[in-house]
Amino acid sequence: MTDDGNLSIDFLAGFTIFMVAFIYVATLIPGLFIGLQSRTIDYDAVAYRTGVILVEDPGMPYNPSWETLNDYNKGDILRFGLALTKDTPNILSIAKINRFFCSTAFVYPDDYHSRAVFGDYPYQFNISFQMAGDNYTRSIGDVLPEGYGYSRRVVKIKETSNATIGPGTGSWHSDYEQQVNASVHLFSVYFNYTKLSGDGPDLNNPAYQINPLNPLGEGVVINFTDLDKTTNYLNDSSIYPGLPTNITLTQISMYRSVSLAPLHTVHSPFAGPILDPHDASQYNLYVDGSSIRTTTLPVNITGNMSLFIPPGLLSNVGNDDSSTWLKVTMQFNLTDGQGNPREDWFLNSTQSQPYGAFEYNYNPANVTQPTLQDGVVEVAVW
Amino acid sequence: MAGLNDEAQWIVMMGFVVSFSFFFLAMVLNQSTVVGQTTAEGVLEFPKNDIRDVRSVIIQSVPLSDQAVLQTDIETIALSRKGAVVNYTQPTLTDEHWHISIHYNNGVTAYNETWTSS
Amino acid sequence: MVNDDGQLYTIEGVAAGMIMLFTVYIVLGATSVYTPGDTHISDMQLEQVGTDALRMMNTQVNGSAGTSPLQDIINNSGVSGFNGPEFNTTFLNYVNNKTGSETDNLHYNATVTYYDIFNTTTGSLPLASNRNLTGGEHPVRVTEWVIVDKKFPGTNVMQNRAVLVEVLLWRD
Repeated sequence: MTDDGNLSIDFLAGFTIFMVAFIYVATLIPGLFIGLQSRTIDYDAVAYRTGVILVEDPGMPYNPSWETLNDYNKGDILRFGLALTKDTPNILSIAKINRFFCSTAFVYPDDYHSRAVFGDYPYQFNISFQMAGDNYTRSIGDVLPEGYGYSRRVVKIKETSNATIGPGTGSWHSDYEQQVNASVHLFSVYFNYTKLSGDGPDLNNPAYQINPLNPLGEGVVINFTDLDKTTNYLNDSSIYPGLPTNITLTQISMYRSVSLAPLHTVHSPFAGPILDPHDASQYNLYVDGSSIRTTTLPVNITGNMSLFIPPGLLSNVGNDDSSTWLKVTMQFNLTDGQGNPREDWFLNSTQSQPYGAFEYNYNPANVTQPTLQDGVVEVAVW
Repeated sequence: MAGLNDEAQWIVMMGFVVSFSFFFLAMVLNQSTVVGQTTAEGVLEFPKNDIRDVRSVIIQSVPLSDQAVLQTDIETIALSRKGAVVNYTQPTLTDEHWHISIHYNNGVTAYNETWTSS
Repeated sequence: MVNDDGQLYTIEGVAAGMIMLFTVYIVLGATSVYTPGDTHISDMQLEQVGTDALRMMNTQVNGSAGTSPLQDIINNSGVSGFNGPEFNTTFLNYVNNKTGSETDNLHYNATVTYYDIFNTTTGSLPLASNRNLTGGEHPVRVTEWVIVDKKFPGTNVMQNRAVLVEVLLWRD
């Protein structure tokens, strides 16, 4: 027998001491990882960056704006952004918010990651938004885990302007009550695009502007209340007891005037109607508090009516010409309930000064100006 | 050195290898935690909100009276409370537009702008 | 049978072990454990919320308002002093509001800094607070410029003045 495979005791002793020391050192390695918590390293920074991109930037492409692209072209969107314009950070546009949270158009996480969160690592995230006064939160993304990077931004959202017309409201003029018997009455709303797009308050600050040329604006809302009280109803109830005058909205027509070349100092006469006056589907018309839109005219009205003209329609009709003057004329026919015309008093703007129409402008006595509503945007990344 | 026995050198060699790898691992891990800190400090240090705020107050002061008093207010308070040198020219009207030349410097970041009204 | 030929192994083993232990001791002492506070990320988040809130308070509510809520608070309808309770309600509302039903719980101390023309120094007046500073907090400072038409110490005329609203904001 040889002693070729024998290990000497000294070797064993030395090697054992080495191994013991090595094993002890190896167990200390997890202590190095104590300071390594993902949450404090990267996620807060990414959440901050996403918050800034969404709240302080209007998005790319800017003109035409990204929320006007349809679902088929969503690949053209380079970056989401909810701000109204580059110069109004923290003031958001309701159209952009609605488009951003549209879950049928954009898919979590891919669409949002490449357009709002960025980075090579596949972060999970949750972006939430709530307006003051709402009791629901809009959000996209996963449910929040235990630890995450976080960014919260305080914002304001620009709302629609609106006008309310009816006896007893601030924008009521005695000019509008035509105390002359007629069976057909006309009421017009007048938009002077030059004044609306150029004379806005606070040096034409986009946050307060009613800009009809802007296809991504907020649109305008015109509410009519107590229309039945604009007739000579007290007299009617004594002459025709039990048979109040029936009101029918028969047409909504648009007439347009532009300045004439080459000097552009004179305006053309109003021409139109531009669109089909019996087609109410291009507006959002709600009659008597119904939640269903009325899409064709004529329609019977008992007392109230609400007409929303979408921003896309106003800007289409304006055709990028800021000298446009637009009149939206509503024709009301009065009958006795059995289809026979009845002559009566009614809401009528043709005698009012100076335009023969109700002017939709920046006068707070006429139009409730766009207000900024409070809101909160939260971004969580993990 | 010829007579020295160098057979067991490999044990010490292993010891050194382990030590160096441990050292390297620790250095890499240590640097990673600093990333978050420098990001946050970079954000805190850049005076984005200060510049926007000063610019906005200067532009707001354009249509008002008491321009000289406002200018002294802004420049003095910015220097004493915000640690930034701000100076701007009084608004001048040329071609129906107002022009202001704004300078801001907080020691680390400098910002210059010539603002014209639209 | 027993000689000192293999002593080398023992010595090398002991030496290697000591080297490794010494390195570990130095390395573990050198790496620092970063607490979230060290990274200043919570400071950055607080400062963002504070500046946002002050800036939104200094934005007119609509185009016909003429002045922002913060200007109205400092102006206080021409009366001397400021509308502290209004500032308290509005600021806390902005700063503590989150999505969902829970709210945050932040504390602040606000002052107004003006320029004293007569003494050519800056002076500071208290505006509002919801907790007194004891010195143990870790606050961030957020500021907002406001233009008001008011009489401040150091002059006896009403004129347009620019003042700085400074808010120290902290979390418990």
